[in-house]
Amino acid sequence: MPDQPSRRGFLKGGLAAGAAIATATTAARAADDPAITEIQDWNRYAGPGVDAEPYGVPSPYEAHVVRRNVPWLTADPISSVNFTPLHELDGIITPNGLCFERHHAGIAEIDPAQHRLMINGMVDTPLVFTMADLMRFPRENHVYFLECAANSGMEWRGAQLNGCQYTHGMVHCVMYTGVKLRHLLEEAGIRAGAAWVMPEGADASAMSRSLPLEKALDDCLVAFKMNGEALRPGQGYPLRLVVPGWEGNLWVKWLRRLEIGDKPWQLREETSKYTDLLANGKARRFTWEMDVKSVITNPSPQAPVIHGRGRLVLAGLAWSGGGRISRVDVSIDGGRNWTTARLDGPSLPKALHRFYHAFDWDGSDLFLQSRAIDENGFVQPTKNALRAVRGENSIYHNNGIQTWHVAKDGVVENVEIS
Amino acid sequence: MSRFPRLAAALALLLLPATAFAGDVDAGEKVFAKCKACHAVGDGAKIRVGPHLNDLFGRIAGTADGFRYSPAMVKAGEDGLIWNDETLAAYLTAPRAFIKGNRMAFAGLKKDAEIDDILAYLATFSQSGNDDAASAEPAPADTPDTPNEDTAIAEAQPKADEPDDAVVEADAAAEPPAHGVFHLGRPATEAEIAAWDIDIRPDGAGLPVGSGTVLEGETVYTEQCAVCHGDFGEAIGRWPVLAGGYDTLTRERPVKTIGSYWPYLSTVYDYVRRAMPFGNARSLSDDDVYALTAYVLYLNDIVTDEAFELNQDNLATIRLPNEDGFIADDRHEEPHYAAGAEPCMNDCKPGKAEIAQHAAVLDVTPEGDGDEDGTGGGID
Repeated sequence: MPDQPSRRGFLKGGLAAGAAIATATTAARAADDPAITEIQDWNRYAGPGVDAEPYGVPSPYEAHVVRRNVPWLTADPISSVNFTPLHELDGIITPNGLCFERHHAGIAEIDPAQHRLMINGMVDTPLVFTMADLMRFPRENHVYFLECAANSGMEWRGAQLNGCQYTHGMVHCVMYTGVKLRHLLEEAGIRAGAAWVMPEGADASAMSRSLPLEKALDDCLVAFKMNGEALRPGQGYPLRLVVPGWEGNLWVKWLRRLEIGDKPWQLREETSKYTDLLANGKARRFTWEMDVKSVITNPSPQAPVIHGRGRLVLAGLAWSGGGRISRVDVSIDGGRNWTTARLDGPSLPKALHRFYHAFDWDGSDLFLQSRAIDENGFVQPTKNALRAVRGENSIYHNNGIQTWHVAKDGVVENVEIS
Repeated sequence: MSRFPRLAAALALLLLPATAFAGDVDAGEKVFAKCKACHAVGDGAKIRVGPHLNDLFGRIAGTADGFRYSPAMVKAGEDGLIWNDETLAAYLTAPRAFIKGNRMAFAGLKKDAEIDDILAYLATFSQSGNDDAASAEPAPADTPDTPNEDTAIAEAQPKADEPDDAVVEADAAAEPPAHGVFHLGRPATEAEIAAWDIDIRPDGAGLPVGSGTVLEGETVYTEQCAVCHGDFGEAIGRWPVLAGGYDTLTRERPVKTIGSYWPYLSTVYDYVRRAMPFGNARSLSDDDVYALTAYVLYLNDIVTDEAFELNQDNLATIRLPNEDGFIADDRHEEPHYAAGAEPCMNDCKPGKAEIAQHAAVLDVTPEGDGDEDGTGGGID
């Protein structure tokens, strides 16, 4: 356990942090702490009762932990994206209210009693299911990350946005409850020659994509719950498609229809969008799988180092559409030297993985990087390696290594380095 | 007169020459993960979506207490189907083909080794004598694949079916089950399918009967589209540019339009019909969509005659300039993903890291006032 702090070191660090928060001064041998010596209101007066919050909300002291958007990115917030505050979260599960959203015509507000799922096309019996019908199929629970193909897409031409919420926040990870897409398709009876499925949403963009039947029959789910409760409206309530490991645009929300066919439909979101333009003017299409990727979430530009030199804990996330993460290396000198970080928590295929690395900071400039390796042996490349092959116009599938510069005063910035 | 014993015998004859059923119990337990959603096995195993699998070997098909079998499975049992290594192997290879009309949703196990393993595993929960199963238990841990066996089972299926009239008769005699496996949902009506099935493919599949000219399209476009896309498809603000952009795909700021980038015209018809105008989708008539699609061709100089009419017969014949501009996903062939490349851990780069570019200098990160403007590289 190379990462385990000594008990003495841990106590010292804890005291220092407590003093820093209480007095906003450096960790000296502090005067008596009024947080301890004075009786606090919450220690004297009774608080709100059990009827105060029928649906619980976070502490008011956590009010800054919210999704944010970047107004200049898109023409209109109705067809836009907001970002998960990764730097405020830990573990591998994203709270439902903080899961990033990308809508193409706003949030469809659907009465589940009026929601239908149709299966048509190359099937023996075109079918219609109600939500109640779907609940009667065998249910499964799986934890998966969902990453937008455009996550980090603003960084192709160089360091642009200052915060991992913006550079990497188009990813979230929840436990889905749903039924196997395979069960639904087989209920209708797939005809010979079928090779593609077109999931379609009920929203005002009627979001639709072509999905290979092989993937549909493999591990896709039709989900109605996330983290145990009904999907949030912004996540497709009452029904969404789950396409593990593949780009978020395929995870059609407000799912109302599945058409089976023998060829892809070449829809707008797989031709005009979600195709990756290369330097030579050709574009890759059907780039579904999300590549191996990681980012240090703390410290990061929105979460600077406030405690001065001494024990410093790096925390981060890693994921791969190819399966599990087998290793994450971190560098504090801009990729000159690497140390293997400690993975902690469940290691689930196609889910976020949490890593930590602790060391004693000497107060000098740091160039923090993380590099993930997945179970198939794919190593997260540098941004420059990706640019060398693809150019800078790809928009999508930027899984390059992120660099944070930590200055001597603890301020963190998104940078590109030599 | 039962046909199944003969089927089993036929299969056994085909299978025996190979080292049959040398399955690995531990590996079988892993394979059984595919079955666990529906089948329980072991102490206290209950009926779930499917019957429990204790004492499966030697069981007459369709007879586990308390489980409501399909008529097809009951009939198969009445016709003499008894579960053993041979019959289970055939069933697990192609469940629906082996007993037509049975309710098991499982598509089948593709690898013979997996079937051997799972049979070895299930045999550990069977008391009743099954010689094959018993002999499978002390199987070696590393069972090599047995290609002979693959062939045997693949061949056995059709051969077995041919003389097996009883199976076909059983199927015909059985109450035809309602659709599917779980018998959930209801058939969609033609009007329902017509209401939702609006997708169009490049080959023209799905195109409705109708037509519209460039001139008609200009009128609709001016009223409904120009407010966002601009009078000439040049776009207002960050709304999508529809026209122009030729020869920009290799430039620093490519302009990806219908004319310069989109591979298929069918996509225009499909997308406009399903999603445009923004905020008032599905409000255009099919003829309006033909007219708009024609007008977009005109804006892109792909047609030049204002009288040009687009319809269900000629739409799929029109080619967009960048149809050949797309390639398959070959990310995994990129040099940085070279197989087995062990990443460098020490002294990987010379010198100290120097900052080449600061995000803070750009100052495009939102701080709340929303005045920032990006330098490009956004999402779209």
